Amino acid sequence: MYYLITLLVYGAVDAIACLGLSQQFGVAGVTNFGFIIFQAVGAYVAAVLALPPDTANGGFQIYVGGLNLPFPVPWIGAAVAGALLALPFTFLVGRRLRGDFAAVGLLVTAVLLNLLATNYRQLFNGDAGVSLVPAPLAAQRSMFVTTSNAYQYEFAAGAILLAAVVYLFVRRITESPYGRTLRAMRDNDKVADSLGKNLLSLRTGAMVVGGAIAGLSGGILVSFIGVWSPAAWSYAETIVLFTAVIIGGAGNHRGAVLGAILVPVGFEEITRFITNNNPSLPPNLLPSLQWVAIGLLIVVFLWARPQGVLPERKRVIPPPPTLAQRMLHRVPGQDVSRVRQRTKPPAPGSAAAASEAGSPVRSRRSRYPRPTGDGPEILQAIGVSKDFGGVHAVSGVSISVRRGTLTGLIGPNGAGKSTLLSLLAGTEKVSAGKIIYQGRDITALPAYRRARTGLVRTFQLASEFKRLTVLENLLTADPANRGDSFLGAAAGRRYWLADEARAVDRARALIDSFGLTANANDYAGDLSGGQRRLVEIMRALMSEPDMLLLDEPMAGVHPELARKIGDALRGLCQDGMTILMVEHELAIMDEFCEPVIVMADGGVLAEGTMTELRDRTEVVEAYLVG
Amino acid sequence: MSAEGPERQAALYADGVTAGYGADPVIRGVSVRAEPGEVVSVVGPNGSGKSTLLKALIGVLRVSAGQVRVGDRDVTNLAPEEMARAGVGYVPQVDDVFAPLTVRENLEMGGYLLHHRQLPERIEHVLAVFPRLGTMLRRPAGKLSGGERKMLAMGRVLMLRPAVFLLDEPTANLAPAIARSILDEQVKRLAEHGAAVLIVEQRARAVLAVSDRTYVLGGGELRMEGTPAELANSPAFVLSFLGGHRDQARPGG
Amino acid sequence: MRGKDMSLFVASVGFGLITSAVLAIAALGFTLQFAVTDVLNLAFAAVMTLAGFVAYWVNNAGLSVWLGLVVSMAVGSLVSVLLNYFVYSPFQRRGSAPITLVIVSLGMALIIEFGVAAIVGGVNVSYAMSQGSTLRLGGMTLTTVQLTIIAISLVVMAGVHALLRYTKLGKAMRATAANRTLARNCGIRASRVIAVTWALTGALCGLAGTVFAIDIGSFDPFSTDLFLILILAAVFLGGPGNAYGAMLGALVIGLATEISAGLPFIQADYKYVVAFVALLAMLAVRPTGLLGART
Repeated sequence: MYYLITLLVYGAVDAIACLGLSQQFGVAGVTNFGFIIFQAVGAYVAAVLALPPDTANGGFQIYVGGLNLPFPVPWIGAAVAGALLALPFTFLVGRRLRGDFAAVGLLVTAVLLNLLATNYRQLFNGDAGVSLVPAPLAAQRSMFVTTSNAYQYEFAAGAILLAAVVYLFVRRITESPYGRTLRAMRDNDKVADSLGKNLLSLRTGAMVVGGAIAGLSGGILVSFIGVWSPAAWSYAETIVLFTAVIIGGAGNHRGAVLGAILVPVGFEEITRFITNNNPSLPPNLLPSLQWVAIGLLIVVFLWARPQGVLPERKRVIPPPPTLAQRMLHRVPGQDVSRVRQRTKPPAPGSAAAASEAGSPVRSRRSRYPRPTGDGPEILQAIGVSKDFGGVHAVSGVSISVRRGTLTGLIGPNGAGKSTLLSLLAGTEKVSAGKIIYQGRDITALPAYRRARTGLVRTFQLASEFKRLTVLENLLTADPANRGDSFLGAAAGRRYWLADEARAVDRARALIDSFGLTANANDYAGDLSGGQRRLVEIMRALMSEPDMLLLDEPMAGVHPELARKIGDALRGLCQDGMTILMVEHELAIMDEFCEPVIVMADGGVLAEGTMTELRDRTEVVEAYLVG
Repeated sequence: MSAEGPERQAALYADGVTAGYGADPVIRGVSVRAEPGEVVSVVGPNGSGKSTLLKALIGVLRVSAGQVRVGDRDVTNLAPEEMARAGVGYVPQVDDVFAPLTVRENLEMGGYLLHHRQLPERIEHVLAVFPRLGTMLRRPAGKLSGGERKMLAMGRVLMLRPAVFLLDEPTANLAPAIARSILDEQVKRLAEHGAAVLIVEQRARAVLAVSDRTYVLGGGELRMEGTPAELANSPAFVLSFLGGHRDQARPGG
Repeated sequence: MRGKDMSLFVASVGFGLITSAVLAIAALGFTLQFAVTDVLNLAFAAVMTLAGFVAYWVNNAGLSVWLGLVVSMAVGSLVSVLLNYFVYSPFQRRGSAPITLVIVSLGMALIIEFGVAAIVGGVNVSYAMSQGSTLRLGGMTLTTVQLTIIAISLVVMAGVHALLRYTKLGKAMRATAANRTLARNCGIRASRVIAVTWALTGALCGLAGTVFAIDIGSFDPFSTDLFLILILAAVFLGGPGNAYGAMLGALVIGLATEISAGLPFIQADYKYVVAFVALLAMLAVRPTGLLGART
């Protein structure tokens, strides 16, 4: 029976560790090859918090601490230690370091720390490790009791209970808007950045949470087996956990638990079974073959089924209840009078739909204060220049965009249009000049800050979050969701449900008005090129911008669809939004944009309606001369 | 045939080529041809698929429909290294030199398919065409200026004496004087020595001046074709740059 | 410095040179694999182990360990080519992210290293060979074998330099590493160049494995684990993908490691800490390394 207990406890501990890794790696996309050191530090800290001073027990061990604290302090300390250890390593995952380089750095750290622990005896008794770690509540009960069956069962039950708690906690975080933001960062961190997500803090959070969970698992483990030495946490143990998570299904927490059962526990059992039935095998053979099997499993699974046994589930947001249902069960956050207004879904592309999309269901209060200027010009560039290593992409450009206009920005290749847009949006820093928005000088403001003040841009290249649905893509851009922070997520569903429902409503309205209702719950990566463009635009609209900077929104879009987009954009402007749009397709400019600014060779050439510009020879020449 | 021209002359034919990245094709049913001794240009507004066409011809992109021939030989979807062996030289718009290698080594790479005994003579010839390069043989290509890089890129291709030259916007980001020199002198010279030159350009006016024939691409399709004289006087030509066919009231693709 | 410290220091320099010599061979192989294929091949140390044991089996059969060295080079070459052909290339053609390739390489490291362990068991082995006579050079005491190792390393470095600078293949390798598409436009069959690169670097890997085993005397299947860290430190210090950076990094890391071991206030076991700190510092501050990116 002791055997079953051991199985249960190890299962629980491994499940907890795998859940932490699944959260870090599967959800947030942080590849932490040093994961095991967080479990190790938790185990060590729990040990030295529970142990008496090292002079006790004959003084054969040397270690720091020895505070002899009662349960549950050691376990709490373990989790805290794991969390704190994560902080110094943000320099490896926070920066724009290549993913594989960062992972190697963490792997090396694991080896290094193991080496230090082995050699620096004063810390944790070196190679021999710490032993005689008292079991929880051992002081309250005599030592003999802790080896009794009843106690063992209680311990196992406690461990499993904790595993369940961790599972629920991790699930709560992942299924929240914050979890969605983590997944978005995993899919495309640059775009997440431009949407205003603070990558450094998100990744730090993932490291800290994962570290705390790993630390807790270490604390439980050391309290059970009573010893902990460097041999128990070689860097290869991290690989076992990664294998478990990959096989179980990265990004799926049930998969993580399944992986924990299959790999660390399953392997042990198969080994034990084989050893018991074949006592004549050389002692080192099986452990080695175990490792070979793990290596094979990693490679085979990454090739044949990288999503794991239980792949990440698609988050389907069910369609809104009918009006009758709504009136019956008052769905929180729904204003019934508004619901009445929408009994008839608007025809796609119509002005009504566009105005609905444009006159947004304003969220309660934007999290970030928005400047409101007056004056006819919402955005100005004054003498703006940008050099890339000697090449003057933009030189001395001064433009102003009038409020409420759909302004076009055109010019031949190399004219500097996209660069100017990037400078206005903040994705690039100016080499000289100033940018004034709503009367404020925003030249020094980075892109994500500008986004928060209502100046939002879209990108030319593919920038949707592929493994999020269309609805989720839009929801990531919602700036005012209370659930989009760690604390908000931890507070639970009820805390952010109202904000979320509001955001879903707005998202659905946008999706309806752009005609993509049927695709609302499809993965964005599965859509056609033109549809993905729409997602891009809709996502930009979700943050309720005051001014939109569009970078070639019609590129690769079917003519009729381009028309619809143009209509929708014009509708938005009629409702007060300002749009600056870079485009190559000049017929679009004709139909929708006024005024149109022409750039060539890094400077502004002319401004006017498309008709006027076509008659001006210097504009014609600029296009033909290139 | 002079010692300067291609080893073997051949024409380039592309018939009904459709190609793109992933599911949606960027160019559809495009047919162009370039005969030995001709400078043929492909112009058009941005997003019309000019670069895509060249990449499809050289084997960097997959051709999903249509045929590409060099002379009599079908070279559709042939790998780029085999295209080089078939006598097609390609100068890309960006990443056109081996930055960490010296100028001389870049030229040697251009002559990779040659026997090593032929190398010194070929290098000398290329340096005669681009004397400036001769002063910087030991310099890493990454340290060259824009104009010098383009010269090196063209010199690299010249090493092979290909029958067909594919040039992707060779004057992009170059100062007008150097651009003019590249078009008026270098490109013309290639054709004079018997190569077939297909050149994609943004600077329509400038390249028209050196072309024998011009194709106008728009929205991934061939819109117009003709001699510079015919095109320069056609209002439709100007319009195709500045807004497509207005009477059809169609925003382009 | 006092006399005893001085001689300790000089002795450390001697050890450092040998470590640098072994490290240079390994780091060159590793960095060239990365330059041409863009894969951080963490299975490199495992293949070194395999090669070291192959030499041992040859040696055990009664033949000279130097013959075993040649055989181990062939084995290292073959295994590396197969590794790239059957594992890394298919994943890359599928468009797998670099991080996936690293995890795969870790998996392969496990398979190879523990595969050897399964066959061999956990025992320490050593080659049956004479260390040759000892020589005193300016305060350093080196055996003939150690000098041979240093000589081999210098030959390898000179050879790689000559290959990369003066031969057509070497320049094709550098071209493929710098711009694979452009290399193909020149008519270079990039996939062949890559296969040859793996064959050559695999031979270096095998050579490094045997020389490493000769140097440390007694070894087991896990002796190269820590050495991989030194390789990574040398490679990243000099700049990943840069052959001359690998040589420089090997010299610096090798010397720094041994000299720190010789310093009076640092315990011998901590000598690897220098390498780790260097690696982490480079990643944090200058990931392109001292000499910058690919040669």
